[in-house]
Amino acid sequence: MNHRIITIAKKELLHIKRDPYSLTIIIILPVIMVILFGYAITFDVKNVSIGILDRSQSKSSRELVNTFTSTKYFNTRVFLNNEKEIEPLFKKGIIRAAIIIPEKYSSSLKRKPETKIQIIIDGSEPNTANIISNYVKMIVSSYSLKINNFQIKAPIDIRPTVWFNPELKSIIFIVPGLITIILMLISALLTSITIAREKENGTLEQILVSPIKSYEIIIGKVIPYIIIAFIDSIFILVASKFLFSLKIEGNLLLLSVLGLIYIISSLGIGLLISTIAKTQQVAMMMTFISTLLPAIMLSGFMFPIKSMPKILQYITYIIPPKYFLIIIRGIILKGIGIGYLWHQVTILILFGALLILVSLLKFKTRLE
Amino acid sequence: MNQIKHIIKKELLQVFRDKPRMVIIFLMPLIQLFILGYAITTDIKNIPLVICDMDNSSTTREIIDKFKYSQHFSLKKIDNNYKNIKYYLYSGKAALVIVIPVNFTRNLIRNENPQIQLIVDGQDANSGNVGMGYAINIINFFSSSILIKKLNINPEKSKLVHFIKEETRIWYNPDLLSINYVIPGIVAVMLTMITTLLTGLGIVREKEIGTIEQIIVSPIKPYQFILGKTIPFVILGFIAFFFALGAGKFWFKIPFEGNILILAVFCLIYLLITLGIGIFVSSISYTQQQALFIIWFFSIFTILMSGFLFPIENMPEFLQYFTYLVPLRYFMFIIRSIFLKGSEFQYLIKDGIILILYGISIFGFSSIILRKKIM
Repeated sequence: MNHRIITIAKKELLHIKRDPYSLTIIIILPVIMVILFGYAITFDVKNVSIGILDRSQSKSSRELVNTFTSTKYFNTRVFLNNEKEIEPLFKKGIIRAAIIIPEKYSSSLKRKPETKIQIIIDGSEPNTANIISNYVKMIVSSYSLKINNFQIKAPIDIRPTVWFNPELKSIIFIVPGLITIILMLISALLTSITIAREKENGTLEQILVSPIKSYEIIIGKVIPYIIIAFIDSIFILVASKFLFSLKIEGNLLLLSVLGLIYIISSLGIGLLISTIAKTQQVAMMMTFISTLLPAIMLSGFMFPIKSMPKILQYITYIIPPKYFLIIIRGIILKGIGIGYLWHQVTILILFGALLILVSLLKFKTRLE
Repeated sequence: MNQIKHIIKKELLQVFRDKPRMVIIFLMPLIQLFILGYAITTDIKNIPLVICDMDNSSTTREIIDKFKYSQHFSLKKIDNNYKNIKYYLYSGKAALVIVIPVNFTRNLIRNENPQIQLIVDGQDANSGNVGMGYAINIINFFSSSILIKKLNINPEKSKLVHFIKEETRIWYNPDLLSINYVIPGIVAVMLTMITTLLTGLGIVREKEIGTIEQIIVSPIKPYQFILGKTIPFVILGFIAFFFALGAGKFWFKIPFEGNILILAVFCLIYLLITLGIGIFVSSISYTQQQALFIIWFFSIFTILMSGFLFPIENMPEFLQYFTYLVPLRYFMFIIRSIFLKGSEFQYLIKDGIILILYGISIFGFSSIILRKKIM
């Protein structure tokens, strides 16, 4: 390799080493993120506190209440005396749902074919409310079958199976996404900042008047960050393997090669920003808006693209992380090979080439 | 007082002079609000579905129709070859495959409990779980309609049956729109990030450029410097906050049930905290890059632990203790309660007091640190 590129890369590495503060954050942040995300991001709804207004006060109503609170979903019960107590408890956030058992519950259950009970759910957290409502349906219908001594069977026997993530653990979905975002963060943000800093300090001029060619500066400057990005990804994979027993189904070599393509296209964005931004603050903010935010929000990292409005769905087509997410999830979780991924790989290569070309051209014009 | 005014003026002048920065200050919240408002959705819609119908009868077509007209699913293909399932799931063409076996209808009529197999792509645990729930509900609904038909034919048996039926009412957000939940949260997150970032970077910048030395040797007192540096961002933060509230109410049509004055007071208290954190970060970091990283880290931690997207009760217990350390948690509760539930002051007082305590101690502590470190 070119000797001058190596010198610049060495210089950049020295810069990074000299600021151990930032280096520590860059290395430790991803691992902490895995831990935080792994434990904190969970849509599993458990331990819901439920209010109980038992107007019947009979043996059968107490049995129904016990059926609810003996599940792992509803473990705390608050007994109520009248309906007016529900609202303050919702507002204080003490209970999420309430069951109202009517006065005639017990006698109606013996005589009538259908007995109604009322459920009130605090809908201010829609996802939780939805899941609670499903749990209630499930518990009530299986209890119904039980008190009928299972004389009646559901006519259709539904057999759900889950592929790729049988235990439906959220972390499995998050880890590939985290790698995608960290790679983007490091390649785009750090590159744009490092060049903007030289501009702000005025040192870029000195480099530009030296015999080094502009592409050499760029390549030299980005090499250390590519290395850091790779190390970070390995950290994330190892941490999630040991902490959350993530299994890697596919070929790691293929993943690395495709990862490199993704890193290069992210670097392209960082370079392009650095050619426009004159100060570090502007570079940071621009990177934040143009890469990080879309990478987190519009790539399908956490929020399904298919549930977004049509307009946003079109925007996601120009977001490189979207394609890399499909690649990395495919390889890690499904264990698929390149055969399924050509489409995404081609788009990433096109993005990368276009971005690098434009920023090289822009960089040159500054030289003259 | 006069000196504070001058610093405020200078600070505002700097904000308005730096065009790109100004654009970013005002554009960032807008983009955040609109993109995030639409992008962050926990509603599960348009799940790509393939139905493998090997029976192909009028009954199975009835089931297929139920899925075709559900907004939760988007039916991509009806296939009759079991071998293709793997392809659909591996290529991502389907996230859910429903398999209806041969002789399904015949077995149904003979009361032989035919199976329907659901195969879910479980990568996205939440979508998978919720999608599976929807599919099971649709089939169960169909199933119970068949059951009722059968019981009607056999009235003797139906007399012996006693079912419990639940009637569910949902308060505050009857249609369970995730946007009603997300927007107030975004407003709070945005306020946190912008005010912390601007204060933090603003002071570090003076350090990095070296102009802070000049301020130190001038007759400006430390408290004047701190107030002068933070008041502009209180103003900007407040403007952005109310702008976002307005957008939430009039653009996104989020019901605003509560009292805006109470919210404004809590917002002011909360700003004390975010500005305090900004000052603290700026006093311990030497470059803007460092400050950015620390704030970034702080923001991620705060956002995850505040219950913004992931309910705190669902976290493991040891993490729940950490959330008590996150001021945004209390502000999040307050803003959501005021927005959606129209909670009155008496329901918010506990979280309000905690916010005040955090505000005074964080702002006070950071000011002392800043004084020690640079003044």
